[in-house]
Amino acid sequence: MHPDIVIDPRTPWEAMDLGVLMAQRHRRLLMVSWAAISLPVFILLSLLFRDSPSIALLLFWWLKPAFERLSLDILSQALFAEPPSLGQALRRWPSTLKPQLLASLTWRRFSLSRSFSLPVTQLEKLSGQARLRRLAILRKRNLGAARWLTTLGANLEAVFWLGSMALLYLLLPQQFVADWNWQQLLEMAESNWLWLEHLTNLFYALILVFWGPIYVACGFSLYLNRRTTLEAWDIELVLRSLRQRLSALAVVLVCVFLSLSPAPETRAAPAIDSPQMPHLQQQALDSQTAHQAINAILDKPPFRNSETVTRWRLGHEPSPGERSGALGTWFDSLDGHIVVLIARTLEVLLWVTLIGLLALLAWHYRRWFETFVSRRSESRTIVGPAPEQLFGLPVSVQSLPDDIAGSAERLWQDHPREALGLLYRALLSRLLNDYRLPIRQADTENQVLAQVVGLGQPALSDFSARLTHHWQTLAYGHRLPPAQAQQDLCNGWRQLFDKGARQ
Amino acid sequence: MSDSPSESTVTPQAHVAEQRQRACVLAQALRQELQKVLIGQTDVIDDVLTALIAGGHVLLEGVPGLGKTLLVRALARCFGGDFARIQFTPDLMPSDVTGHAIYDRQSEQFKLRKGPLFTNLLLADEINRAPAKTQAALLEAMQERQVTLEGHALPITQPFMVLATQNPIEQEGTYPLPEAELDRFMLKLRMDYPDAEQELEMVRQVTRSTRADMLDVHAPRIVLQAKDVLALQRIASELPLDGQVLAYAVQLARATRTWPGLSLGAGPRASIALARGARARALLRGGEFVLPDDVKGCALAVLRHRVRLAPELDIEGLSVDQVLRQLLDQVPAPRT
Repeated sequence: MHPDIVIDPRTPWEAMDLGVLMAQRHRRLLMVSWAAISLPVFILLSLLFRDSPSIALLLFWWLKPAFERLSLDILSQALFAEPPSLGQALRRWPSTLKPQLLASLTWRRFSLSRSFSLPVTQLEKLSGQARLRRLAILRKRNLGAARWLTTLGANLEAVFWLGSMALLYLLLPQQFVADWNWQQLLEMAESNWLWLEHLTNLFYALILVFWGPIYVACGFSLYLNRRTTLEAWDIELVLRSLRQRLSALAVVLVCVFLSLSPAPETRAAPAIDSPQMPHLQQQALDSQTAHQAINAILDKPPFRNSETVTRWRLGHEPSPGERSGALGTWFDSLDGHIVVLIARTLEVLLWVTLIGLLALLAWHYRRWFETFVSRRSESRTIVGPAPEQLFGLPVSVQSLPDDIAGSAERLWQDHPREALGLLYRALLSRLLNDYRLPIRQADTENQVLAQVVGLGQPALSDFSARLTHHWQTLAYGHRLPPAQAQQDLCNGWRQLFDKGARQ
Repeated sequence: MSDSPSESTVTPQAHVAEQRQRACVLAQALRQELQKVLIGQTDVIDDVLTALIAGGHVLLEGVPGLGKTLLVRALARCFGGDFARIQFTPDLMPSDVTGHAIYDRQSEQFKLRKGPLFTNLLLADEINRAPAKTQAALLEAMQERQVTLEGHALPITQPFMVLATQNPIEQEGTYPLPEAELDRFMLKLRMDYPDAEQELEMVRQVTRSTRADMLDVHAPRIVLQAKDVLALQRIASELPLDGQVLAYAVQLARATRTWPGLSLGAGPRASIALARGARARALLRGGEFVLPDDVKGCALAVLRHRVRLAPELDIEGLSVDQVLRQLLDQVPAPRT
């Protein structure tokens, strides 16, 4: 055991701090030994996978647990004895690899508590169920810390790695960097910049030389701390060191003790003093008063904390578990079925109320819904039933006479307005029913006309334009159409619509 | 319109028709002159002429560089009456607009010095740059066509038209027009970017000339005098307006008050403006009576500054114009 490293029960974080100190104390040995085993492996991998540096890096990263074993071996020896020399340590490395290397490199490779459980495998040489039981006990408290250690370690590695690359970039001369065209560099990187990738891989290997031993030491000290707590290692170690120190003196001391020891009868006094012994009862402070004093102290804070709570309560509050008198008996007197029935009724009533409220809300905002909920679907062409009325005129087929032109001619002499209205209505009816034009209530006559023009039928457009003009002049200008307009419009109507009807 | 109405040989009806015909020709000539100067803004020109014929005021809104000021200046050139321009700035005082009394040492009396408001055509450029009190100096002039100076009500010569411009994007350091002021504008026009072809044509015309100003490129000729404008306004106001069409105009204005999505509807002044605007549009169109289309055509410009959008729709990103278009699409056209 190294004299400067004191084993005490600590918090996990303090224990990891101790691990950093341990790694610092043996830094040279740890780093050189790590470099001695990891860098040849790295060079070998780089040579093997010359064309794919990423695979080389991945494999190197994968082999990390194998390198960690050497560091742990050195640390354990240094803790309990003198640290080995570099040559001794390297010679011992193959033997440390033996226990469960395959497991460490395969299914335990991704364990987040790797460095914490490594001592169990390597130093205690446990395996199978025994190892699992041991780990279960050890991990009970420190698993979180061990996982955090690995997570932070991974992050630190990344930071150091990127930092080292940034450092390299900063060390490049300014004149050299100023001419760089990043785009071009990136394009070049795809082809023959493998050496750069190998260089960054080397940075990772170097970072591991620094960080790997620290990580192992932190896990080891965490393990030690856990065992200290579980097995009172600190006391055992102190006693062990006492024995080492005093073993020479012990014989002398025993002799001195024996020679100076008083007569044997004095040592025959009763071994145990009970509180009821009379000599204890007669003292100024006898055990009874002491007992009372102890009880008095136990009644005061911090042993007993009584607090006053002030709150409102309803009448005589029944104690929990006991039903209030009248209501309780009433409930008891009720038949179970009736209670269920009432509850059901109430439930239905509540649901009806809720639905009614929602309906009321919807009704209240009905104009909102009318206007805004359907506004996305405005662009759809209306295929549904055509409106019965447009501009206040009935436009359904049933409301119109069979012979439109004939009826208009008959009406023209006495009621020109009705005659023209009939023709216009009939035109709208045809547009709605035959041509399926989406005519709305809000469309003016000219807008309807524009839609008709959009149909691309010159004859229909021409007739509609004439009819609309006469209709507007009559309706809004209060001017009667000229006499020849009658024949013109009626003939136009017959040509357009009655022709199709006859055929 | 300088002909006297007492021509003996024609019947009154034919005379009216002839007058309308001439008014229409005059209006078309004015429109053509303006279109030569301001390329690609036909609708805005029509709306400005509508306001001129209807005797209303116009608020022009648009991003810089669309020719708002150019349009007003071109209108002033085509129009033989007086033209004045006020550039509204944050330190403009009401007396800078209306005028004030100054002491004359020689006569030892206070003399009234009339402000730029006493004119026929007033361009209030960047009207929202001036504080509310200066904007309010226009209120009386716009509605009652008079200015009260030192306790005396001084009438403004007719015709009187205010064309105000404002920029919708720069809101910093501006004073939004109060509702009362907005309501006095008959139309609020939005100028939008011209079409690609029209913009191409405009750039070609401007760059061909050494002058930077379109008014120098196409110097507009004086088409009409102040009394012609008055005659146009009179003829327009005499255009027959069917009861149904009038009812439609009123119904549109009333619909804004109960329309969901509008938190504030338009007042009766909107109905009046709709009817007047419809008459003016009918005259511009060359029609002999007012159609529902005339009402519908100017409804957007009449209503957009008189209503306020409900906050929910504002948050949803709808504009006043979109909501008003929905309204126009749902209010039934006249039943005859």
